[in-house]
Amino acid sequence: MGTPHLLTVEGLEQSFGGVMALAGISFQTPENLIYAIIGPNGAGKTTLFNILCGFYQPTAGSLRFNGHELRGLPPHRIAALGVARTFQNLQLFFNMTVLENVMVGGHLRAKTGLLAAALRLSRVRREEQQLRQWAGEALELCELANRAEQPAGALPYGLMKRVEIARALAAKPRLLLLDEPAAGLNDTETMALRDLIQRIRAAGVTVLLVEHHMPLVMSVSDRLLVLDYGSVLAEGAPTDIQADPRVIAAYLGGAVQYAV
Amino acid sequence: MRLVGFYIFAAIAALLPVLFPNNYFVTVVGASAGLHVILAVGLNLLIGYTGQISLGHAAFFGMGAYASAIMTTRFGWPGWLAMVAGLLVAGSIAWLFARPILRLRGHYLAMATLGFGIIIHVIMVQAMQWTGGPDGLAGIPPLNLLGWTIEGDEQWYGVIAAAMLLTIWLSLNIVDSRMGRALRAVRGSEFAAQMMGIDTASAKTQVFVISALFAAFAGSLFAHQQAFVSPDSFNLMISVELVTMVVLGGMASTFGAACGAIALTLLHQGLVVFEDYEMLIHGALLMAVMIFMPQGLFVGLSQVARRVWTHFRGRSTQCAESIGK
Repeated sequence: MGTPHLLTVEGLEQSFGGVMALAGISFQTPENLIYAIIGPNGAGKTTLFNILCGFYQPTAGSLRFNGHELRGLPPHRIAALGVARTFQNLQLFFNMTVLENVMVGGHLRAKTGLLAAALRLSRVRREEQQLRQWAGEALELCELANRAEQPAGALPYGLMKRVEIARALAAKPRLLLLDEPAAGLNDTETMALRDLIQRIRAAGVTVLLVEHHMPLVMSVSDRLLVLDYGSVLAEGAPTDIQADPRVIAAYLGGAVQYAV
Repeated sequence: MRLVGFYIFAAIAALLPVLFPNNYFVTVVGASAGLHVILAVGLNLLIGYTGQISLGHAAFFGMGAYASAIMTTRFGWPGWLAMVAGLLVAGSIAWLFARPILRLRGHYLAMATLGFGIIIHVIMVQAMQWTGGPDGLAGIPPLNLLGWTIEGDEQWYGVIAAAMLLTIWLSLNIVDSRMGRALRAVRGSEFAAQMMGIDTASAKTQVFVISALFAAFAGSLFAHQQAFVSPDSFNLMISVELVTMVVLGGMASTFGAACGAIALTLLHQGLVVFEDYEMLIHGALLMAVMIFMPQGLFVGLSQVARRVWTHFRGRSTQCAESIGK
């Protein structure tokens, strides 16, 4: 493939005590694709995300993102390079409104320090306007604009998950990590999520998707990585993965009747 | 719109001495309440908004007070310069201790800040040649600002009220800004805050320093207003009381903290008549507030007010309808 790789993971290992959560995995994510990572529970998907965003330090291996080595960087520095994420178990700021949550997403695009903020200098007011506008755009994309002033905790679960996506998008990331965005959503919400993920990709963001909902994964992703027991089982286009006998045996079982 | 509450607060503070001239309760208790508001509003940035407990905040209050006391009485510095020195000392010490202390969470952070407060208190008692030991330091000269010497209860009320309004304004500005949201994000989910690019260690350090500066500012004013300082004003009980003000008023609300500070100050004054039973009633009232208004006095009472208001409006529209028929 001629497209440049945004993310290159090589020989990534993570052990917790004696448990090998990731046993040396390697893969490359081309830019501007929807790249899904699937695998049974405990395969190491969330561990991989937590390493990618700097929450865990891997035991071995390297992670190159857009020419930078991510290994060893703290989370806020990785975020500054253009990586944003959502969480499997909601990590919304329940002490804030929807708009404020999403404005936090724009943190890195603004500069106001504590002292300037305390004195409310005129540039602070201008920056505040700008943050508000960026947040508004992210809310618009996620179809949440009418919820902006509500407390984040007052929304139904499906919308809370969307607020997390909007918050991540407000950072204007190059790579967006979605950790089980469809978990807990009903069918209508899942279909809306599929459209949203496609809109995000169309906006120029590369999406890394960890998800169990197979119809969503198969219909939305351009490429898939299958993990099992911390190792790569297969990698390829959705049609190839669905036909792969190892994948069928390990993960999909006999039920491979999803629409291609 | 953002500052409506601030203007109301300012109007009340300005009107009180006009409505009640020469009133001990307004000028003396009011000034004391004002200092408590400065302390509580600063501490609320740390506890209420950022979610980090401090059980040693009286230490910074004391640093400001002692810096002013020592520099003016022993070295003859002008009051404003001593105040700046106090802010620098408290700010630097807060900055030095913030990183190691604020790595801790929950109970451990409470213990560490408790220990910090006790150490500073011990220094105030033991460093006799500087602090005067348990007897404290007397004869602190009146504060002179730009040629104006602050004298008398009314003037002190005015100065402290202005200082109080300044800190409320600063606090409101901080909370409703990029950094304020970063602080609230730390409380909401430190994990997510980091992922959004917030350097949470740095954010916590900054808010710790700011709240220490607020406390030291109040301390300098306190030293000059009282003309006397002693370690008793900065012990563990005071630290606990400051936390109580924040929690009682309503966490994560600037006006909540301010109301908590005023309520607790008035409570102390009001209960003096009960003498031996003061602490008993004091404790019982605090328990009652926490049981019936766990979100704090300010939020709790504004909810009650809203309920009364809608009830009243509901009745009046019913009346209007019945008249209409």
